[in-house]
Amino acid sequence: MSTLSYLLSRLLQIIPTFLIVMVIIFLLVRALPGDPAIAMADAKATEEQLEQIRQRLGLDQPMWMQFGYFVKNVFTGNLGDSILLKAPVTQVIIERLPASGFLTLYAVLFSVIIAGPLAFVAALNRNNWIDVSVRSIFQIGLSTPVFYIGLLLLTFLAAKLRWFPVGGYGATFGEHMYHLLLPALTVALYTSAIIMRNLRSSVIEVIDAEYVQFARAKGLPEHVILGRHVLRNAMISTVTLLGLSIGNLMSGTLVTETIFAVPGVGRLMLDAIFARDYPLIQGLTLTFAVLVSIIFLLTDMIQAWLDPRLRVS
Amino acid sequence: MISKLRRLLPHSSQLLVLLRPGFLVGVAILFSSIILALFPSTFAPFDPNAFNYVDLKQPPSAEHWFGTDNLGRDTFSRVIWAYSVNIQMAFIATIFALTIGVTVGSLVGYYGGIADAIFGRCVDAIITFPFLVLVIAVVAVLGPGLTNMYIAITLVGWVYYARLMRAEIMGQLGNDYAAAGKVMGYSDARIIFRHLLPNAITPVIVYWMTDMALAILLGSSLGYLGLGAQPPQAEWGVLIAEGRNFITTAWWLSLMPGIAIVVTGLGFSLVGDGVADLMRPRG
Amino acid sequence: MKKFLMATVAAVAMVSAFPALSAERGGTMTFARYDDSTLIDPIYADRNPDIWMVTNLYDTLLRTGEGGSISGGLASDYSVAADGLSISLTLRDGISFSDGTAIEAKDVVFSLERAANADLGPWAGLLASIDSVSSDGNSITITLRNADPTIVSMLATFNTAIVSADAFAAAAGDTDQEKSSALSVDGFVGSGPFTMKSHQRGTLMQFEANDHYWRQGEDGKALPYIDGINFLVIPDDATRILKLQAGEVDGAEFIPFARVAEMEADASINMELFPSTRIIYSPINTRSERADGSANPLADLKLRQAINYATNKEALVQLVLHGAGKPVTSGLMASTTQLATDNGPLYQYDLEKAKALIAEAGVPAGTEITLTTLAGSADDGIILAALQQMWSEIGIKLKVEQVDGPTRGAKNRSGEFDIHTYGWVNDVNDPAQVAGWLGYYPTRKAVGTGWNNPEFNTLFEASNTEMDPAKRADQYARMQEIYAEAAPLLFMYETPFAVALSQSVKGYVQTPLGNNEFATTWIDR
Repeated sequence: MSTLSYLLSRLLQIIPTFLIVMVIIFLLVRALPGDPAIAMADAKATEEQLEQIRQRLGLDQPMWMQFGYFVKNVFTGNLGDSILLKAPVTQVIIERLPASGFLTLYAVLFSVIIAGPLAFVAALNRNNWIDVSVRSIFQIGLSTPVFYIGLLLLTFLAAKLRWFPVGGYGATFGEHMYHLLLPALTVALYTSAIIMRNLRSSVIEVIDAEYVQFARAKGLPEHVILGRHVLRNAMISTVTLLGLSIGNLMSGTLVTETIFAVPGVGRLMLDAIFARDYPLIQGLTLTFAVLVSIIFLLTDMIQAWLDPRLRVS
Repeated sequence: MISKLRRLLPHSSQLLVLLRPGFLVGVAILFSSIILALFPSTFAPFDPNAFNYVDLKQPPSAEHWFGTDNLGRDTFSRVIWAYSVNIQMAFIATIFALTIGVTVGSLVGYYGGIADAIFGRCVDAIITFPFLVLVIAVVAVLGPGLTNMYIAITLVGWVYYARLMRAEIMGQLGNDYAAAGKVMGYSDARIIFRHLLPNAITPVIVYWMTDMALAILLGSSLGYLGLGAQPPQAEWGVLIAEGRNFITTAWWLSLMPGIAIVVTGLGFSLVGDGVADLMRPRG
Repeated sequence: MKKFLMATVAAVAMVSAFPALSAERGGTMTFARYDDSTLIDPIYADRNPDIWMVTNLYDTLLRTGEGGSISGGLASDYSVAADGLSISLTLRDGISFSDGTAIEAKDVVFSLERAANADLGPWAGLLASIDSVSSDGNSITITLRNADPTIVSMLATFNTAIVSADAFAAAAGDTDQEKSSALSVDGFVGSGPFTMKSHQRGTLMQFEANDHYWRQGEDGKALPYIDGINFLVIPDDATRILKLQAGEVDGAEFIPFARVAEMEADASINMELFPSTRIIYSPINTRSERADGSANPLADLKLRQAINYATNKEALVQLVLHGAGKPVTSGLMASTTQLATDNGPLYQYDLEKAKALIAEAGVPAGTEITLTTLAGSADDGIILAALQQMWSEIGIKLKVEQVDGPTRGAKNRSGEFDIHTYGWVNDVNDPAQVAGWLGYYPTRKAVGTGWNNPEFNTLFEASNTEMDPAKRADQYARMQEIYAEAAPLLFMYETPFAVALSQSVKGYVQTPLGNNEFATTWIDR
């Protein structure tokens, strides 16, 4: 199957998925208990004010009509107005997305830098004390709650030692790099452990594989073997894993953004759910869904390119 | 029955893998965790909820091994009592997801066709959402609290088990037992549950171990956000949240439950790794 | 007692407004908030982070001073007609908006009319007595439909702050709210001590000093003393405090009470506990039947009084507030509100009396009551644990259901609760708002309790048109008496606003209504 038809078939698969996603979002948001008008309007509002809000949200119309408007609006790019922030949802998301995006990419970078070399070290020293220590340290990273590590880093490295600013985002690119270092490290803790484990496994598998032993027998130097075969296959599984973990990464940023006061979409999502801001919740979840779908697609493409065997569906 | 068990168990020489220190440590941790979870009152010296207006925010001492909190409650007892909640969380939040996932995954993997296509799209739809966000949304719908948290995690988590099971079943479809079964006219159910499942289940069990560690972390995150276990109930996430205003002045309040989470999670991971090593195909 | 409290408020205000050292000028202050403002418009501000900022950007015609006294704001003086049906004000000469244009009577007319317009903002009800507003030169006359004892206070409240009629006329947008949004940052025109310089939602809001502000500082030059304020949004309490301790911000609001002692012990930090109108209480469902149809034991007055007597409020203040606060003395309002009566803390802890009342009520031991609390709130968790223990002594079994904010609000409106935790801060300088909210059935069914007392209702309606201050005070005294006796709430405590400031910040005040006042703030450099 050629790359093009593979791409097309994947894209086609996204459409029904997307529709299901929209139905889920629509129903989930409306299943939230508590009248959104009450949630938004603050305790002191009168019945008339609540009615006004309900009309503005279109809540007084039958469900199917609401869904119809929802779908139509999505496809025309109108995500409505956020009741909480009193501004268009699209605008709010565009304002807040960069911080989360930056944080996520930063975290991925850290994960790869930390996990990559150490995974090789562990694999090549399989089962001796180096391997065990590396794996133990990462094990601890895997088992520590994100919010606790974040809190500790913030308290000691930022507030006490003043090596880093206490949370926030900064204004320039340089400031972003500085402010987001600790939160990125916090999020990377978990992901790097997953990548390390997986990478180490793949490297071990490849090293033991027949074709590598054959190459050794032929007299190819070790570093060529490592470079050509091991690295390529290791990349395949890492890329796959990173792609799949992106969803979890975004979850991780949610708590981290709260602790480090980073103005991203994770925290926005929490606020939106707590305030029952329907348009904002819908807009955000759709945005997540679209982004994650694109990333999955990209991951599949890269995988297919790296490993021709996978192109056979 | 014995023959089936024998098929399940690895070769006897591979059992030596189980004697590795990592695995043994993991088993020891899990075992003690379960004991603490089942018999908290035996091990906790104080009532975890008893206010004590005298000994507020005391550092660890002979009387209070982990110190006391800002209401005078004994931290050691609270951490011990939290074992019940958190270990329970590990099992309940995962076992239903596992059961549902394994059932759906087996059926879809075996029958394929349209069911598989629909299943695929549903899985994609659910996986597209960040896990934590979806769980929080479901908890918001159902209301905060432990039971609803379990429901939320199950509703979102079954998909991962199902996907894994489906892949395994599909891989097994070509094997001899299934073919033989079909020739002999066995029913589909019998083929699935007696021939395919036993071999396919092992990766799922391994995943389950890791998932239990994840469930504890997830439950603690929710407790921290105020959506899981509710204060004043002792749960590690809640305890850390209660202690977060005192990280420097009463460091023991957040550190002790934090260590408990790390150690317990470690236990599950080590056991899971051990079983995975055991099952990894050799040669 | 009340005079003492008033004096304290006065003393705090005076000490803060006229510091011992002379005010220095210049510098920018950084302030950490728990939440961001969305739209700071006098008539649309309905959330505390918006309401509390309004008076920094827009001035009112009159100002409230120490002890509730009214003095001139943008209006140099005022007089109420003998029949109470009109008020005339004289606008000051030579005052300007932040863009240099003159503040004229037409702006006052525009601002008051939009504030009283029920189709626009949620606060129009406070100005329901206004019939029309007219002007003649610098003189403005407000004609009322009925005598309104609160109207003078209203003219000193945020919702009647003056905006520029010209700016609104020229602004983009079809509706008044759209225009207000359009003017909120670019093209901002205000009448207060500061202007809006920039606003990045959820992150940073910047104020700049208004060069055209009319009020003068003690050095004879125009206020404010500082050049600007940077507001950072830091929702997590622990992080907010860390930022202050690290010196990255000069002030942090809403310090958890558990950390007040720690802040007080820190030599570089000035821990302020500003008197406030914030009260914490728990509405009790007084209806004879619960929402699900079962009999409601709390409909019995004696049971409600019994649980009030069985609750040790002093203990709660220690446990929850770590001593920062006190039990309420008036069930209907905070002690800092005008006309609050003070005959000592209500329902002081008396276990014997509680037991006697419960026996009289014939409520059997083991009766279950459900307390609805806010999910994730550590304070509510403590209140629950304490009440469970305290009420078990009178045979009540207290169960709990934790829900999130919107659900609790919905339950309050629908009456699906036994008792739930709640709080309140006054928005206006008159007790009518809180009394109406807590006790007047037509407003909100007496804060959702369903308590409907004809004598109270009549008194309340009468007090809304009673112009004689002495008579009005009597009416309020009687209303508070009735309310305390009927105990439709579990009366609890009032708490101050806890703000931690760096020692170099002087002259900052958070008023009892919650307004963050930066006009007289200066930085000691």
